Amino acid sequence: MFVTPFRYARARSFAEACELLRSEPAPAIPIAGGQSLLPMVNLGLVEPATVVDLGGVREARQIVAEDGYLRIGALARHADLERDELVRTRQPLLADAVRWIGSPRVRARGTVGGSIAHADPVAEIPLAMTVLGASYELRDGAQARTVGASDFHLGPFTTARAPEELVAEIRVPVLGPGWGWGFTEVSPRLGDFAIVAAAALVRVVDGRIVEARAGLSGVAGRPIRIGAVEVRVEGARAEDLEDRVGEPEGLEPIDDEVASAEYRRQLARVLLVRALRRAVERAGGSGR
Amino acid sequence: MNDEVRTSKLDELRVVHRPLARHDQAEKIAGTTRYAGDLVLPHMLHARLVRAQVPSGRILRRDVSAARELPGVVDVLLGEDIPNNEIRVDVPGQTIEVQPLRASMQVLATDRVRFHGEPIALVVADSEDVLARACSLVEVEIEELPVVSDPAAALAEGAPLVHETGNLLAEWTIDRGDVDAALAEAAVVVEGEYRTQFVDHAYLEPEAGVGWIDDDGVLTLRVATQVVEHYRDVARILGLPEAKVRVIAPYVGGGFGGKEDMTVEPYIALAVWRTRRPVRMQWTRNESLLARPKRHRMTMRYRTAAAADGSLLAQDVEILADAGAYAYLSALVLLYATVHACGPYRVPNVKIRSRAAYTNNPPASAFRGFGGMQVVLGYESQMDALARRLGMDPGEVRKRNALVRGDRLPVGQELITEVQLPQTIDAVRERAGPKPQPSGPRRVVGRAIASNFQSYGRLVWLNDSAAAWVGFQADGSLTVRCGVPDIGGGQAFSLGQIAAEVLGVELERVTVHFGDSALTPLAGTTTATRQLLMSGNAVYEAATALRANLLAAVAAATGDPVESLTLEPGAVSGPTRRVPIEEVLAICRRGNVPVEALGTFFGPKGRPVTRELAGERIFPDFTFGTHLADVEVDLDTGQVRVLRYIAAHDVGRAINPKSVEGQISGGVVQGLGQALLEELVVRDGVNLTPGLFRYLMPTAADVPDIEAVVLESGEGVGPFGARGIGEPPIGPPIAVIPLAVADAIGVQITALPVTPERVLAAIASRRG
Amino acid sequence: MSEPMTMDITLTVNGRRVAATTGAHLSLLRWLREVAGVTDPKYGCGEGVCGACTVLIDGELASACLVLAAQVDGASITTAAGLCEPDGSLGALQRSFHEHHAAQCGFCTPGLLVCAHALLRDARGRLSRQEIREALHGNLCRCTGYQPIVDAIEDAQSRGVQG
Ligand SMILES: Cc1cc2nc3c(=O)[nH]c(=O)nc-3n(C[C@H](O)[C@H](O)[C@H](O)COP(=O)(O)OP(=O)(O)OC[C@H]3O[C@@H](n4cnc5c(N)ncnc54)[C@H](O)[C@@H]3O)c2cc1C
Ligand code: FES
Ligand code: FES
Repeated sequence: MFVTPFRYARARSFAEACELLRSEPAPAIPIAGGQSLLPMVNLGLVEPATVVDLGGVREARQIVAEDGYLRIGALARHADLERDELVRTRQPLLADAVRWIGSPRVRARGTVGGSIAHADPVAEIPLAMTVLGASYELRDGAQARTVGASDFHLGPFTTARAPEELVAEIRVPVLGPGWGWGFTEVSPRLGDFAIVAAAALVRVVDGRIVEARAGLSGVAGRPIRIGAVEVRVEGARAEDLEDRVGEPEGLEPIDDEVASAEYRRQLARVLLVRALRRAVERAGGSGR
Repeated sequence: MNDEVRTSKLDELRVVHRPLARHDQAEKIAGTTRYAGDLVLPHMLHARLVRAQVPSGRILRRDVSAARELPGVVDVLLGEDIPNNEIRVDVPGQTIEVQPLRASMQVLATDRVRFHGEPIALVVADSEDVLARACSLVEVEIEELPVVSDPAAALAEGAPLVHETGNLLAEWTIDRGDVDAALAEAAVVVEGEYRTQFVDHAYLEPEAGVGWIDDDGVLTLRVATQVVEHYRDVARILGLPEAKVRVIAPYVGGGFGGKEDMTVEPYIALAVWRTRRPVRMQWTRNESLLARPKRHRMTMRYRTAAAADGSLLAQDVEILADAGAYAYLSALVLLYATVHACGPYRVPNVKIRSRAAYTNNPPASAFRGFGGMQVVLGYESQMDALARRLGMDPGEVRKRNALVRGDRLPVGQELITEVQLPQTIDAVRERAGPKPQPSGPRRVVGRAIASNFQSYGRLVWLNDSAAAWVGFQADGSLTVRCGVPDIGGGQAFSLGQIAAEVLGVELERVTVHFGDSALTPLAGTTTATRQLLMSGNAVYEAATALRANLLAAVAAATGDPVESLTLEPGAVSGPTRRVPIEEVLAICRRGNVPVEALGTFFGPKGRPVTRELAGERIFPDFTFGTHLADVEVDLDTGQVRVLRYIAAHDVGRAINPKSVEGQISGGVVQGLGQALLEELVVRDGVNLTPGLFRYLMPTAADVPDIEAVVLESGEGVGPFGARGIGEPPIGPPIAVIPLAVADAIGVQITALPVTPERVLAAIASRRG
Repeated sequence: MSEPMTMDITLTVNGRRVAATTGAHLSLLRWLREVAGVTDPKYGCGEGVCGACTVLIDGELASACLVLAAQVDGASITTAAGLCEPDGSLGALQRSFHEHHAAQCGFCTPGLLVCAHALLRDARGRLSRQEIREALHGNLCRCTGYQPIVDAIEDAQSRGVQG
């Protein structure tokens, strides 16, 4: 509401955006969908001198499939992932995950790159990317580097990105044959940020898990994979999951006004089992 | 029957008692209604408050020089700049009785801050855009003082003082019979301690308004408020004669008690008065959540004694309310809690001790239900506990003890209207049918009922009154003028309905001018579910007087006896002929008969109360009801889903049945928010939930349909036998939800909100 | 501190072209209310949570408080007032809101109308009450308990209103 005036510059390419971030009065801050940046600006928590709009980087909203990967432009919106035929068929975990984000208004404007760069510790997209083993292409002018999701997300709102670097593209492995997926979460109300969320991918042969990837958000400062559980569930059938998941390792949940650490631990157990069970079911095992 | 009770035959009613669509709704739906923040005035300035960032401290230094120098800043005010830097929180509205309140606070704090968000300086600028920076340039140095954040700690020996006068703000007691003897002899005694949380009104429209100096030097405010009579408080602050301040209340974007105390009024007034220019002030949601008074959090201890057949023998109740940093209306809220503490039940022996304490939390004040709400959790949990102990049906226990007409409340007040509490219990149960099955494994369902009663109309010793003017225009249309603010409940529209009914005018030909302290007769606050009772009766009286004038004039002109005449749309009909309204008006004019009338309605009277509460009459009357909820609990996550919700109230007479249903579903959902989701979290005086991201009110997806069952006993002290329904529906949800969860999981949750986390902890406690 | 900046922004608001030179920092909500004089979108939170500022930007739902006017320069904006018939009378969905008493204080109503309009426009097949409730979850109402709003949308749907 009470916003101190700032400058606005619209970039037509990532290179131009990097240029503007350097040349414009500081702090110059990129804006994509604005669904995380503008609440902070409206509350006076962030006071940009310049806002550099990435919305003019047209090609960065594309989603294409290429040898076993989906290449998703950073400016693709949550609603694009939700609706896109390629995403729904090649990597349905992602399409499923974004449905949990906010309201239709948030999904209509919020972007994949923005969610990744913002790095809210309970955001759905970084969790999905971590479990999927996605990698991000970061660009600074002509230079580019690729960082894996689990190396990129360092902590709450903290990433491996340098201030002038931009998230340009996300590479997501497509779902292989025999694999199933599950994504679930508990939030106070529909559309709220999750208290805890769980994502799982499993390959099932003859009703038993032969390979698994499982991750959680809300139990650490960033989304994490639970390696020990991934190992423990190998060979499991749907009905064994509760026992095999047991106490997930490596959780460092916090106590805050949203939930206690103890409750987050409980949800971690329950949701991991649910996500895995759903994944087994989708992979053709006998889940419930 | 008491002659105060107004009844009427249904078949005679033409406009009242119909679910008519409101014209104000059409404008709201078209998007053309101008709310307080929508008005833009030429050359207007913008104002914003600098607020305390700490909950408790001594102000050492304030320096506004840097802020003043910022281009665009027109003025910066401190407390010293105000003629009378004191907001005296008298009981607002049409009353002069204020005894139990000693509520006063500074408009702008000069030496001491007592809560996070307290106003310290007022910045006025020619654009909203400079206000963020300007406010940050106001330097305020505060020496932090110890924070008292718990009311029990505040009352303990040696606690830091929030106010020099001591931390005990108010205390009430009720004593009746011999509680100790009854407890000793009773077949069963159940005990419980219950806690409610701080809750925010969270209406969609944050506090806002504009002000300007009008002709004849009248300082005029057009603000979102429930009380236009605050013009008097503004006048006192500015040292102006009361007639030089005018408050206009446009359609308000929700009130619920949160716009009963002043919010933006004194600040806009100050800025206008200093700059002599129009000023707008809009609070952000953050300010609204930080600094506007909340619903009191309360701790309630109950000991309930009963005979083996379930008859109540005694209630021993202790209530402790967290009043926050300033008194506001806390003493009265606590009084309501005290009078309502035993519920709608007959109890021969009663001992109630209630106290409200100052803390460094956000101040608490009026909120729909006004203290009569929190205690529902206490008394209804006790009734279920009793039923369990005695192996009785919860409905039976309630019916056995239900008050009936002629009974006296513990405080001594006699009930003068019919009580249909048992009928509401039967109504919700009949409608509900059998309990549903769980939707899957590891899920359980539960069902409960909860009854309540809630006063409507203000405390009788306030000597409440309301006035309204009704008059015909030359074209035969009707105009109503009444100072009532319309906060969304259709207050203005119902007045039009009443006038139309009495005067036989088509509703489309009635215009209601409302909410203007200068031009409409003062009608008092839109609070305490009083407007239908007070303004409704004022309009009723004005219209009835006007009707008598008209009929007498026609009778004289036509020779027909008055009793043979009827007013119908567009005419007066009699045995000899039908006189069109234009002619009726002409007859009146020629015969010196006024075609307008002022009606003043005086509320029921009573004597002022003392700390030891006892009185023949404390409130005008009460509304009774029962709710039923089915819930499903997920045993793994603790999540609670409300499957079904039924709410039955005896509303006396539904003036507008659609408005009644709307009040019920709206009130229930607000109550469900408090039951399941909402909590203004304050830790060590710091508000951790100052935004709608964290302050969780229910969405459409969180609640089921609310099935309203409207009973009409035909008895109430409002016009046409109506009872108030604005507040009563908000109480039962906070009890029925934890009780239904208890039915599902076998453990009662005694603290609100019933979060998944609390549910899991309760389940674990059962295992352990 | 750098010089702030003004920009020429042109938007088509409910079919009316509005061009103005304004601060580049203005949210679409402030631009609509203060520059275009279109006040039916309301401020309720500034955080994208309450939905009182809901509008359509080129047909897509958005929180006007979380978009800079500069970001959508050239776009076509629809607010609740834009759902009225050309003669200013209520449109079909609005009439249904009116008949069902779906507005009490009315502050949430413009946002909810826009949300409901998009819902009916995009619906494939008949929506259940629960589906309608879930689709409305991003628009808060503190007065009605939502029931009459759901009734109004359901009724409009059954009468074939498509937004
Ligand atoms: C009411 C509401 C509810 C929400 N609920 C959820 C939820 O449940 N789950 C969830 O995950 N999110 C939620 N969000 C956040 C939403 O998903 C955001 O869209 C997302 O987090 C950020 O995307 P954006 O495009 O809007 O980013 P912006 O707000 O534009 O930017 C966010 C940050 O990232 C930077 N940035 C943006 N794009 C790039 C880029 N390409 N390269 C480098 N830096 C960049 C910006 O500078 C800024 O610091 C919610 C938001 C709202 C308003
Ligand atoms: S004001 Fe935009 S969502 Fe609340
Ligand atoms: S009608 Fe008041 S907020 Fe919805």
